[in-house]
Amino acid sequence: MLNKPLHIIGITVMLSALSACHGILDDIYDEPSGDMTMREGQLYVDASSWTAWYYIDLLNTKEGFVQMNIPTEELPSLNTQPSALNPKPGIYTYWYDVFGAGLSNHEFQSFTPTEAQPEPDTWHIAVHRNNVRTNGGAAYETPYTSMSDLPESSDAFVNATFTEDEWNELDVWTIREQMLQGFVGNQGIEVNPVLSSWLKLEIPPVPPTFTLNNHVFIVRFADDTYAAIQLENYQNAAGVKCCLTINYKYPY
Amino acid sequence: MTATDYKVKSKKLKMKNRFHQPSVWRILLLFTFHFSLFTFPLLSHAQQQDSTLLLNDVVITGTRTPKLLKDAPIQTRLITAADIEKVDATNVEDLLQQEMPGVEFSYAMNQLKHMNLCGFGGQGILFLMDGERLAGETMDDVDFTRLNMANVQRIEIVKGAASALYGSNAGGGVINIITKEGTEPWTLNLNGRLARYNERRLGGSFGVNRKRLHNMLNVNHTSIDNIHVNNAENPATQVVTTIYGDCTWNVKDRLTYIVNDQLKLIGRAGYFYREQTRVADAPERFRDFSAGLKGLWNISKDDNIELSYSFDQYDKSDYQKITRLDVRDYRNVQNIFKGLYNHYWNSGSVLTAGADFMHDYLMNKNLGNRTESQNTFNAYAQYDWLVNTQWEVVGAVRYDYFSDSKDSHFTPKLSVRYQPIDNLNLRIGYGMGFRSPALKERYYNFDMEGIWIIQGNPNLKSEVSHNLNASADYTKGHYNFTLAAYYNNVHNKLATGVPHYLPGDDKQLYLDYTNLANYSVYGGEATIQARWNNGLNAKLSYAYTNERFPKDKEGHTINNQYIPARHHSLTARIDWDKQITRNYGLRLSLNGRFLSAVKNVEFVDYYDISKGTSTIHYPAYTLWKLSAVQRIGKAFKVTAALDNLLNYKPKYHYFNSPLTDGINLMVGVSVDIEKIE
Repeated sequence: MLNKPLHIIGITVMLSALSACHGILDDIYDEPSGDMTMREGQLYVDASSWTAWYYIDLLNTKEGFVQMNIPTEELPSLNTQPSALNPKPGIYTYWYDVFGAGLSNHEFQSFTPTEAQPEPDTWHIAVHRNNVRTNGGAAYETPYTSMSDLPESSDAFVNATFTEDEWNELDVWTIREQMLQGFVGNQGIEVNPVLSSWLKLEIPPVPPTFTLNNHVFIVRFADDTYAAIQLENYQNAAGVKCCLTINYKYPY
Repeated sequence: MTATDYKVKSKKLKMKNRFHQPSVWRILLLFTFHFSLFTFPLLSHAQQQDSTLLLNDVVITGTRTPKLLKDAPIQTRLITAADIEKVDATNVEDLLQQEMPGVEFSYAMNQLKHMNLCGFGGQGILFLMDGERLAGETMDDVDFTRLNMANVQRIEIVKGAASALYGSNAGGGVINIITKEGTEPWTLNLNGRLARYNERRLGGSFGVNRKRLHNMLNVNHTSIDNIHVNNAENPATQVVTTIYGDCTWNVKDRLTYIVNDQLKLIGRAGYFYREQTRVADAPERFRDFSAGLKGLWNISKDDNIELSYSFDQYDKSDYQKITRLDVRDYRNVQNIFKGLYNHYWNSGSVLTAGADFMHDYLMNKNLGNRTESQNTFNAYAQYDWLVNTQWEVVGAVRYDYFSDSKDSHFTPKLSVRYQPIDNLNLRIGYGMGFRSPALKERYYNFDMEGIWIIQGNPNLKSEVSHNLNASADYTKGHYNFTLAAYYNNVHNKLATGVPHYLPGDDKQLYLDYTNLANYSVYGGEATIQARWNNGLNAKLSYAYTNERFPKDKEGHTINNQYIPARHHSLTARIDWDKQITRNYGLRLSLNGRFLSAVKNVEFVDYYDISKGTSTIHYPAYTLWKLSAVQRIGKAFKVTAALDNLLNYKPKYHYFNSPLTDGINLMVGVSVDIEKIE
């Protein structure tokens, strides 16, 4: 009679030995890797910081990128109020209807004057999360979704309508300490609206959603050189958003 | 033990208990059976299975031994398979909010579901599946979508502290979901349901019954789109703009092998998968792998032993579509060994003793050390003393030890049942509940999008509650009345406290897990149910809950991340069932629920708590569901239901608003293949 209970115990012990204390089926998951090996014509930049711009020199991507923090220290000023005709560098705090109509419903709250955004000597584009600036350039969105499908040279786009950087005080979210209340401090700065459309942030819903636009963009710089640029991915292996994998061709 | 075993054992108990003469009992049973046939000659097959009064059903959860519902010394709320079918519930959330007043499901942060049952929620209510704990949590609650209602035989709900039998997390009660065991030679059921927002529910079950071998396989799939909802302007607090849908798969298999008259082995295995897309390129995935083996050994006619091993693993991962990487960021694994011994005396009294060992492993990318684990050990004993035909006293004690905190607990419970006249039961009881701090609460370190950093606290004490409860139920003719009241005093409640800055840093807010000051929850419930001979059944339940707002030990209002229970709630059901011809039957059901308004004290400014608090008013609402089930032959059922019959659309979709955007038509079909003639 005792044999049978012993069998039960035996089977139980065997089963427990098979199922690890730390779980089973690890293999169905991928391990995030720190190795961000890039192809030729590809670069990676972790632009997830809210408080810095990353400046990219397309002729010198192997040297890395120059990080320049966004000035947030308040400057004493006799006339601190900017106007539409005279925008000033600084932090523009807006209230957003985060839990209602979303980002489209917003209201200016306050302005804090700061130093202008510092820049390195040479750069082509700068990225801050989902925002992109050009160094005196302009951008055009092509219908192409693959760099290899592009025409031979940028001559094909000379008649296209390029959009220059524009003043923006709504999108470069810098100070988020009161985000839960809907208050965000934004840097007032010129950004390129076309190029910035490669990664669209939307609220609602909460938490925000990011939508990748994988079209190739053509950027015309002040020296009349061109670059083809495409955002391939906006997350790193650990799933952190605004870690950008960018395909580029320069000069194009 | 299976339900059949319970019934057999329970009848045996009754036999010893009241008559001490098996032959008399058998004669009475036969008489009752024939009497019921003559009394309800016009009742349909479905009606005969109706469970409105349920008093002769067997329950197990209150004492861990089988008891007839009407004789259970611990008041137990029973929801049967017939009830589940009537409300056409998909999962446990769907079911409980339609069947029970005093229960509410709302959103926590990130649209994770939170349940409040009589003022207890999250880890204060212990969910069991066939008596086994569930691994994993989503913002303190179990993943309710795991608990689908396919193949569920019954759900037993014991309110009030039950830690003397079930240990940590049973401070507010226990909800035990018990699955079916096949009785027919073979069964094959296929079913499906469609509704608004591309909601689909598909299921199948296949059962085989041989002399010594039974197997039941269940496969279920659900899916529903994301639902974008509108809110009026100027909400008083946070609202939901998108109700996130999901897609689930749930596969379960249970194999029973009857070795001989004394020994039975039950093996089980399960897989669960859920995917939810809040970010288009990175859907979240939730998986669970479970397995177990249980041996039931009837040593003698008066003694039995149950030994079991249970494995449950709950994983969360994010699938990055662009790079096709599925990266896991959470895992909870529980390995549990259990032993249970019962001895029955001829008087009907029962001694129960048991011990459990659990290894609990947690991997979470937001833990300071990424992984933590602990062992827990407990031993308990309960004596169920049947004093005489009128009095029954149940006392239990339990000892628990937690290796990580080196914390130990001694937990008592005492319950008394008194039956002054036939069909009237009076119950009174005291129970202690406790909840040991979870590994997450001790070691968490989570930067919540820069709003604040939620910090674990290794010095947390266990939450302890003292529960007093009393109830009365009375059955007369077609009617059954139940009244119940309870009072809970909670010490050292585990929660997040008051947001604060660290000295020298006025930029970053921190929110620490802490033990709160004492607070209390009290309330009651009244239910009347009726079953008439013409096929009509009705049930009306009302619950009152008063959950006093907890504060921290210094008397400060805390950041209460969950909205408190509503004071008043009510559920109602009326259904009519008629077998109109030999091959056609019809059941019409109307279910409704009402929840009163509730107020919550919330910070005006989470970043400057000196601005004080404001009281947010959350509105009352009522929802109704009308359904018709047509039975065609023995094999086919066609269901049509109108959910949210009054087309209620919340003005604001607050976290505790019902997840609805108006009336919803649901159409379903079920086929029992083995019954096709």
